[in-house]
Amino acid sequence: MNARVEQALTGLKSGKPEDVERALETLQEIVYGFGMKVCGVREDAEDTAQETLLRLARQLKEFPDARALAVWLYKVARSQCLMSRRKSKFAPAQMLSLDALMPKENSAAAPAVKSWEITPEEIVLNKELRSKLEDAVLALPPHYRLVLILRDMEQLDTREVAEVMGISEETAKMRLHRARVSLRNALAGYVQRSQRKDHD
Amino acid sequence: MTERRCKQIFAMLSDFLDGELPAKNCRQMERHLKGCPPCIAYIESLKATVEACHRYRVPRAPALSKKVKAALLAGAQPAREKT
Repeated sequence: MNARVEQALTGLKSGKPEDVERALETLQEIVYGFGMKVCGVREDAEDTAQETLLRLARQLKEFPDARALAVWLYKVARSQCLMSRRKSKFAPAQMLSLDALMPKENSAAAPAVKSWEITPEEIVLNKELRSKLEDAVLALPPHYRLVLILRDMEQLDTREVAEVMGISEETAKMRLHRARVSLRNALAGYVQRSQRKDHD
Repeated sequence: MTERRCKQIFAMLSDFLDGELPAKNCRQMERHLKGCPPCIAYIESLKATVEACHRYRVPRAPALSKKVKAALLAGAQPAREKT
């Protein structure tokens, strides 16, 4: 469950103007953030947020709990993102094969470094790493990218991801694993280079 | 990571990291990891990748437009009245 959605629904129901105001800002941040991660383009993320929130306004009273709200919110935002694909960077819808993703001995994808130390500060402060991560996520085919963003960035659980995507939990897990491995392999070159620089 | 066993382990890594692997497979994986440094290195790198995703944040969202804010406030009214 996305804790911020829960927080927003509590704020909306509290009746206190400042809590309601904060809740609306939180919902905007959630949907805009999701749009940015999926589309990679500010204008598309803004359109996604606007359209999703206008639809939400008409149905806000109908959500029994935060889980239902989260699933609805991401489902609508996902459709909006896919409709904005003319502007956004969408890789072709292809299948990622686990065999092809598995590192082979002596290949560039094999871990030549003993440890991966991406510190919490680094992902927040290191612009180059952030940019590599963004590019690698945007390079994923859409149905893998969406699952990875929902699970690992928006922190939904497997069941919620499956509901948002309209797929089985098994398929969600399979796509998540392939997306993670693909992302890890895409970041490997950067991590190895930056570790070599540190040792020089 | 070229052995047959490594290949089986490779397919289960995400479930293992998410604590969603059945107990039997978990034991099997832990036994394998004890003697396979490449698999240990790979799982550490995958874990670091997932952590990086958890911590990733996009730049701050723009303020809500007046139109959207008004619509949401109107929509939120019945939700507040119900409680």
